[in-house]
Amino acid sequence: MDREEIERLIARVALQDREAFDTLYKRVGGKLFAVCLRVLTKRAAAEDAMQDTFVKIWKNADRYQANGLSPMTWLITIARNTAIDRLRARRKGHQDIDTPGLELAAPGPSPEQAAVAASEAARLSDCLDRLEEDRGAALRGAYLEGETYKDLASRFNVPLNTMRTWLRRGLIALRECMSE
Amino acid sequence: MTEPALPPRDDDDFQAAEFALGLAEGEALTVARERARRDPEFAARVALWQERFVAMTDGIAPVEPPKRVKKRLFAQLFPKKRVPLMERLWVWKGLTLAAVLALAYVAMPTLRPPAPDQPGPIFATQMRGDVDDLELLAVVDPARGELALRRLAGAAPDGRVLELWAILPDQDPISLGLLPEGESLRLALPEALSGQVPALTLAVTDEPPGGSPTGGPTGTIRALGTVNEI
Repeated sequence: MDREEIERLIARVALQDREAFDTLYKRVGGKLFAVCLRVLTKRAAAEDAMQDTFVKIWKNADRYQANGLSPMTWLITIARNTAIDRLRARRKGHQDIDTPGLELAAPGPSPEQAAVAASEAARLSDCLDRLEEDRGAALRGAYLEGETYKDLASRFNVPLNTMRTWLRRGLIALRECMSE
Repeated sequence: MTEPALPPRDDDDFQAAEFALGLAEGEALTVARERARRDPEFAARVALWQERFVAMTDGIAPVEPPKRVKKRLFAQLFPKKRVPLMERLWVWKGLTLAAVLALAYVAMPTLRPPAPDQPGPIFATQMRGDVDDLELLAVVDPARGELALRRLAGAAPDGRVLELWAILPDQDPISLGLLPEGESLRLALPEALSGQVPALTLAVTDEPPGGSPTGGPTGTIRALGTVNEI
């Protein structure tokens, strides 16, 4: 996916350009739908999440420039968060994790930093595999299946605080592995 | 808590990662969200984690969404355009102004002989139905015996024509003629109506080409409106 092209499309969508929105949908719709489907597994729910995702993109495109994320990260993160909120919506007392358009204070990382992060990210799978097996699985469970601390604690049969400590160590190890 | 003590940078980084993963809950979520919104350094940490985690979706191959998703999305974001209220008002005012100017013209003794009637009240209605989007504005000037009509939206169904009717209480509808294709129309009000405009209802039906064969409406009422003094 051409980063500059997607960035230009988002910039035009921020100006309420419907044609650009249509093109953006054609270019990234398949990927975002696949992400929604991966999180929600059911097609009907994924279709609803997909619709919500693009409504957020249309309404918040003007906030994209400020947050310093690469365009695909911004788009995929909105889809992922929207899908997870939908997945958790039926639970009592659920708070949405998604903020409209990912509200991050400006300036975020400079584009250079984001690019570095993107190349770091290519090593993520490798680094996740090098984590102790349970910790890697817990991270994937949290990111791709929207599992909460409570879910993870019962899945790995450990107390909640232990789970939190595990994840904390896992994340630090991951960060170190990725910046090696 | 038995967590080992870590430098504050690690605390911040962990908080940012928890927030990016969606693991923060309750108070912790509220605090992290607020920090992400206000604290640029914290926001940068969150962004970095998002860049890292997003790689977990690299292996997910695109899946073409069904066409209905886009259809619903576009219908939600861009609902079929109705004529906005301000525009309607403008058209309405435009028509009224035209009627007022016409009256002024009529009343100018140097240009015309004195008008038989004193300039009187003007009536108008917005005609709509629930069959389709046909929408018309009608302005009636009883003093001049005129009716002006403007079509805002809609058209005759295929193979049918639109016919305008005047309806008065306890009387059969009176045909005012067929509506031309164009946007606006002016016609003379039949004598029979001149004294009864305040009670007038206007209706549009669809009829076979050439108009109603019976002299009364035979098709579906597609738009309807009762006039009010403006």
